[in-house]
Amino acid sequence: MCGIAGRILGAPGPVGRDLVALMAAQEHRGADSTGFAVYGTPRESGYRVRAMGFDRARLERDLADFRAILRDHGADFAEEPSWDSGTTRHYLARLVITDPDDLPAWVQAADAMTDRFEVQSVGRSLEIIKDVGGADAVADKHGVRQMNGTHGLGHARLATESDVRPNASHPFWARPFPDVAIVHNGQITDYYTWREKLERKGYRFLTWNDSELIAVWVSDRMKQGLSMEEALTLSIREIDGVFTYMIATPGAIGFAKDRFAMKPLVLIDQNGAIAAGTEEQAVRRVYRDDAVDVINHDGPSLHGIWTVGNRRVAA
Amino acid sequence: MTQALSDTVVETIIEVGDRPIRDVHADIQQAARAGGHVVLRNTLSRHNLGVGLPPGCTLHAEGSVGYYCGGLNTGARITIQRNAGWGCGEAMSAGHITIGGYAGMSVGAAMLGGLIHVRGDCGPRAGVAMKGGTIVVEGRLGYQSGFMAHGGKIIALGGAGPSCADALWQGEVWVCGDVDDLGVDAVITEPTAEQVAEVEAILDPLGLADRSREWRRIVAGQRLWYFQSRDAKAWLMI
Repeated sequence: MCGIAGRILGAPGPVGRDLVALMAAQEHRGADSTGFAVYGTPRESGYRVRAMGFDRARLERDLADFRAILRDHGADFAEEPSWDSGTTRHYLARLVITDPDDLPAWVQAADAMTDRFEVQSVGRSLEIIKDVGGADAVADKHGVRQMNGTHGLGHARLATESDVRPNASHPFWARPFPDVAIVHNGQITDYYTWREKLERKGYRFLTWNDSELIAVWVSDRMKQGLSMEEALTLSIREIDGVFTYMIATPGAIGFAKDRFAMKPLVLIDQNGAIAAGTEEQAVRRVYRDDAVDVINHDGPSLHGIWTVGNRRVAA
Repeated sequence: MTQALSDTVVETIIEVGDRPIRDVHADIQQAARAGGHVVLRNTLSRHNLGVGLPPGCTLHAEGSVGYYCGGLNTGARITIQRNAGWGCGEAMSAGHITIGGYAGMSVGAAMLGGLIHVRGDCGPRAGVAMKGGTIVVEGRLGYQSGFMAHGGKIIALGGAGPSCADALWQGEVWVCGDVDDLGVDAVITEPTAEQVAEVEAILDPLGLADRSREWRRIVAGQRLWYFQSRDAKAWLMI
């Protein structure tokens, strides 16, 4: 059991605040860890990078080594790095970088540091913040409520199939595709089969969390030319298990549900401003007026896409 | 918590909001044990409201409720103005629950007795593993409703979704309207006049009787009863 959420604002605003509210109301579904994917105003060039270091005592050396790899790929820091001021051994750094010559090649090179420093997200607008603990604790530590943007995802994790670690938390970035993130509630039962197939195609996985697979699986299909809607539909047929997941890009949030209708999804759609979550009581934290109608996506084999910018294209 | 006195009944109004559910529950139980009428306000779709209510009390939720509302009911009359989340009326043994809107997944799961009346549609697996009692749905039954029901009746006036009555045991699923498809081991039978009269007698007090309806009475084909794992045909059916 996990809790997931998606939020699209009618206009850019305090999306971090709303995501925290959505996840605080679902903390009982999984208090092992909480995470957020926030889409801010897109940069015209350069990327926002979120990365996790596993030993705060080595922070300066981590950043220096990371910068050296960046420079090897024709890029550099565009802003001074920042990081959380927590007391945990691990830390979450925020970096803004110029464009590498070849983004996938740079990501692969940076992944050589994953034993001590792990890139969590790369995007013109995407930033993934995740950590162990409940929604309020993670939000307080990383300033999530202060993050503005257009849309985002949230996740509360009850670890089942892999261990509880900060970097095994959701959301997952669709490595190495910039600006793509997913959250997932469920279990993928043919995880190892798909992981081997994707690894043979050159993709890398940093955890044993089955949700990481969905992010790469969908992005790979989209890279092959499928639309997001086609990829979502195909995932219901091809991926085995019980799941509801949401995938976000700079322009939309899509969702898919398995063939057995085991994992819930409820939605409030107010003229294209979306609040979606595992439980109705979560979306009621954003729209507290009970007269606002809730849509229950309870059936099997469902998918849909909500676009950012006050238009809904499919559901 | 505020109380108002009428000639015969004490009405207690309880604010739910963001209060701890344990506190709300204590207030509900205190009022319910006194045999009065309880009104829940600002429910915000919170979970576990009105669980374990005793006979003789009535509870009305203004708005929507979350998971397990009315669970373990032993005879209370519960009305929910709008929607109910998962497992409304789970394991209830007696009483009457009315849901004004949509009922989420597994309404009436494992219920033993009593009546659940849903004015809207139902989510998947309505009446899963129910042992007795009745679920009346004015709208449409969701996916795999009646799954493994051991007893009781599910009556749907607006059709049923896929895999209806999957792996049914001794329960019955009555559907007026179209059925997307049947679940494994579910068969449609022609109801007798007596059986129809029995169903209409359930619908009458709800103001839903209509003798002109055409019913599909879905029961177990009994091919999965005492399933023999060496029976290749039975495996194919699954």
